[in-house]
Amino acid sequence: MNQTLPLKSWIQHQANRFAPALFFIGLVVLWELICQLGNVPNYILPSPSAIITAFFDVEFSRWMTHLWATLRVALMGFVLSICIALPLSIGMMRSELMNRILYPALIVIQSTPVVAVAPLIIVLLGTDDPSRVLITCLITFFPLVVSTTTGMLETPPEMIELSQSLRAPRYRETWQIRIPYAIPHIFSGLRVSITLAIIGAVVAEFVAAEEGLGYFIQFSTSFFKIPQAFAGLIFLSIISLLLFKSVQWIQVWLFPWSLPKKK
Amino acid sequence: MKTAMKTTLRLSLLASLIASTSAMAADKVTFQLDWLPGGDKAPVYVGIQQGFFADEDLEVKIASGRGSTDALTKMATGQSDIGSSDIGALMAARAQDDVPVVAVLPYFTQAPHAFFVLKNSGIKSITDLKGKKIATSPFTSSNAFLPLVLKQNGLTEDDIQLVKSDPGALSPMMITGNTDAIIAWVTNTALFKAQAEGAGKEIIEMPWSNSGLSLYSSSLLASERFLEERPDVAKRFIKAFAKSIEFSYQYPDKAGENLHKMVPEVDAEIVSAQLKSITNLVYNDVTKKDGFGNFTPARIQKTWEYVAEANGLTLDALDPSTVVNSKFVPE
Repeated sequence: MNQTLPLKSWIQHQANRFAPALFFIGLVVLWELICQLGNVPNYILPSPSAIITAFFDVEFSRWMTHLWATLRVALMGFVLSICIALPLSIGMMRSELMNRILYPALIVIQSTPVVAVAPLIIVLLGTDDPSRVLITCLITFFPLVVSTTTGMLETPPEMIELSQSLRAPRYRETWQIRIPYAIPHIFSGLRVSITLAIIGAVVAEFVAAEEGLGYFIQFSTSFFKIPQAFAGLIFLSIISLLLFKSVQWIQVWLFPWSLPKKK
Repeated sequence: MKTAMKTTLRLSLLASLIASTSAMAADKVTFQLDWLPGGDKAPVYVGIQQGFFADEDLEVKIASGRGSTDALTKMATGQSDIGSSDIGALMAARAQDDVPVVAVLPYFTQAPHAFFVLKNSGIKSITDLKGKKIATSPFTSSNAFLPLVLKQNGLTEDDIQLVKSDPGALSPMMITGNTDAIIAWVTNTALFKAQAEGAGKEIIEMPWSNSGLSLYSSSLLASERFLEERPDVAKRFIKAFAKSIEFSYQYPDKAGENLHKMVPEVDAEIVSAQLKSITNLVYNDVTKKDGFGNFTPARIQKTWEYVAEANGLTLDALDPSTVVNSKFVPE
């Protein structure tokens, strides 16, 4: 047997395994090359190296202050919207009347651009955390309500009939049949919401804030420090990505049975 | 004897406790900026760092704003007590609505609006802008005054091609040749110059105040409720603030350090460069004639006439003297 064959397939295997990382690295290298060779000034498109320098020019403790401000608002808004969305979905699933009353209201809230309402919320609730949390909550709770309600309604009718024929009380029907069936839907809603939570926090910071990554980005552009703004932006997307992943990990950890079966 | 000692000791302890609590209970004031921290916003930071507010037994909290009207709204709704904003925006707001905010101290006695062009563009005066492309930001107060300054130079809005863009994009647009001129405040001059230098270009500013647009601009405004309910606090604040302005322009380098200490994202050097480049907005012929800290009725009237024309308001929509409260000017 030829010895090179397994080596070749090993390389192929590794290349395949690290394809996403290689693609990403390639993209960054290309970006750097375009900036360097094309002599693109930093205020139009900062090069990756300029962004990295800008990132380390800002003290670590400042990054943590801004990160904590944004994360705090995003997570509070996210938790608040879970607390509102779950009971609301259960109510809407159980009562046709409630569904008819609330659904149009929810659609109105969702289709109102929060960016436009944000200044009004700040005037009403002040410039502290409560208004920012409310803005975040308004952006995040709709996908949760929709996915949870859909999930609960998609419970196989046989299961419901079985539970009814066994005279199970309604709370058991909800907690032991409908909610478990809705878990995959709830988690897809949570994944959408958590990324929206970061967007919500940033929108709120654009309107009124003294710290936070959104504020930092706005601040950097106001001083024409574009590489620094990019550094903030990239930091923000990494946080967003990590939060998205965390929701997935929580699902794997708590509800492994709810994951689609691997082929 | 022993008990007397004890009593004295206890009494003095009590006295020091009272003294310390009264020191702790300094009067709280929320100061509203009309934009993000930067060179022209340095005085309030200087006042805190140099202890001018502490000397008056004041504890000042600073809130950043997102434009003149945003700052006005926050003062009107009581979220802030006092702050800096454009007196023109206040006049326009009071002419249309019963906004409970008044001006208490002038800060910029000349308008900060300006055109910026590249040195090699061949544009030397405002009249040269005929037929040129000019970029401005969507929400700047300069836009309202643009027709006036064009008119004073024999131009109309049809003579220029006006485009709107994000404030951060203006100077790059001009440096890359996407626009012939831009409209911005002279507070940006130091930043623009640094940016143009990076691209090997030179920038010239053409302030509108040199072309006939002479009016009050950024001022210290206060909510009427704050002035009514805590006149003594207001008086002490305004005194300390006037001192802070003076210090900031006298020692711009120190002012830069002070601001940087409170807002580490801002470079001390940029702040001091900004302060140096806008000194003439704060100290100029107007302040020489009228004295620092005084609004004169004639100039207030003139400012209102400009504001009314710029915003399409009738002159009788507002008695401009009601916009000012001069009772708090420090002696």
